[in-house]
Amino acid sequence: MTGAAGGVIVIGWWQLALATVFVVVTGVISIRLALGLEKDLAIATVRTYLQLLALGLVLTWVIQNQTWWLVLAILLVMTATAAQIILRRSPDAPKGVYVTSFASMLVTGFVVTFVVTGAIIQVSPWYRADYVIPIAGMVLGNSMNGIALALERVFADLDARDEEILALTALGASSWEAAAPSIRSALRAGLMPTINSMAAVGIVFIPGMMAGQILAGADPLAATGYQIVVMLMVAAATAVGSMLAVLGSYKRRFTDDGVFIERGMRVER
Amino acid sequence: MCPSPLLEARDLRVTLPGDVGPVAVLDGVSLTVPGGEVVDVIGPSGSGKSTLLRTLARLLPGAQGTLLLDGQPAEAIEPHAWRCRVALLPQKAAIVPGTVRDNLVLPWSLKARVHETAPADAELRAALDRVNLGDVDLDRDADRLSVGQAARIALTRVVLAAPEVLLLDEPDANLDDASAEQVRRMTEAFAAAGGGVVRVRHQRSDELAARRLHLEGGTLGEVAS
Repeated sequence: MTGAAGGVIVIGWWQLALATVFVVVTGVISIRLALGLEKDLAIATVRTYLQLLALGLVLTWVIQNQTWWLVLAILLVMTATAAQIILRRSPDAPKGVYVTSFASMLVTGFVVTFVVTGAIIQVSPWYRADYVIPIAGMVLGNSMNGIALALERVFADLDARDEEILALTALGASSWEAAAPSIRSALRAGLMPTINSMAAVGIVFIPGMMAGQILAGADPLAATGYQIVVMLMVAAATAVGSMLAVLGSYKRRFTDDGVFIERGMRVER
Repeated sequence: MCPSPLLEARDLRVTLPGDVGPVAVLDGVSLTVPGGEVVDVIGPSGSGKSTLLRTLARLLPGAQGTLLLDGQPAEAIEPHAWRCRVALLPQKAAIVPGTVRDNLVLPWSLKARVHETAPADAELRAALDRVNLGDVDLDRDADRLSVGQAARIALTRVVLAAPEVLLLDEPDANLDDASAEQVRRMTEAFAAAGGGVVRVRHQRSDELAARRLHLEGGTLGEVAS
């Protein structure tokens, strides 16, 4: 697992070990400064190794034995895992957010991925794993972050505005009218990282996909086209995913009569 | 013959989660509010006075009991319509970003009043004059209102929306004497025009209420005058 293959310098075990030294240094700093991050850092490092190694093995196998149902099954597992991560990152969210996040990611992830692979890149067959899975990964990963940020923000903001919401509802506001300011701020929060990275791309940083293609020996201009498509589809997926997730879940904090269920009245999940 | 009550509550029961299990905040509370009358509810902090107001406004999930407005049972009146007729003014004035005008006409920006016309500027100015806020420009940024001004703006907004019953949660708490007097006068005028008022108050009687009720231990009792 070392040396050059097709112009790509292959990373070997000792190079991986060298890279891990940096994480060890970070862990030592965490212990010395009592940041309490060393355990999380260690677990995250092991997960990075195992999950990416598994991904490499699975992708190799899937690309060799690809069928449409296998590709779809992998996308479903990715979506379900992302919804689980969103749920963990939104501890204040009401019951049922898992289903809403899963559904939002399923719709946006699948639509955006297959529009890109089918209509823009025009891969054949439509389920070609070496295109569909990496692109779905980028779409789902980014919309997962956007959805998690937006959901976390909407429920925190609703709680912070509980007195205002009560007054608005008392004036006759519907749950939508009472929640709208929180929904807007949550959707902005969900979309800001994507917009910021679109503004900085190419100047401050070279995005992962383009960097990867250039490292793999691709023409930088050809890589640019892919990267623009990816940036735009990620923005669209994040925006639509956050919108679906927030609009599909904010009502869970209201009764059918449009009354906000405050902290003190909730039966904890 | 006694006048028929405008708002009537029978056997209200509310149980909320407490530190050591569920607490019966309202345990069979009954109350009548005739039109033209001010009823004060007093009682120690945490005795459920605000909970009672929220229940009367149908703003408390899980509350049980019978509510009647003008003889009509609550079930026959859609919740949003009920809240427009039985208006709760929470203790903390909710001022939304925008101008004083935006805040005063807020109820008419909502779907529930889409078929009504918002009061014109002249009417808004007259209403501000009545609570001694004639010097507050309608275009002023609502962020720049003092606590006392915000409380009076919030009360003016509710009164402009012309409900039949006003539920005021400590309307004169945190107000200076002059502002409190204007709030009192506005409440008096509302009742004189035939409206029913329920006030939660901590302060000593201001001679406005026809009846004073004491809420403690989940039950409501009349305070001898």
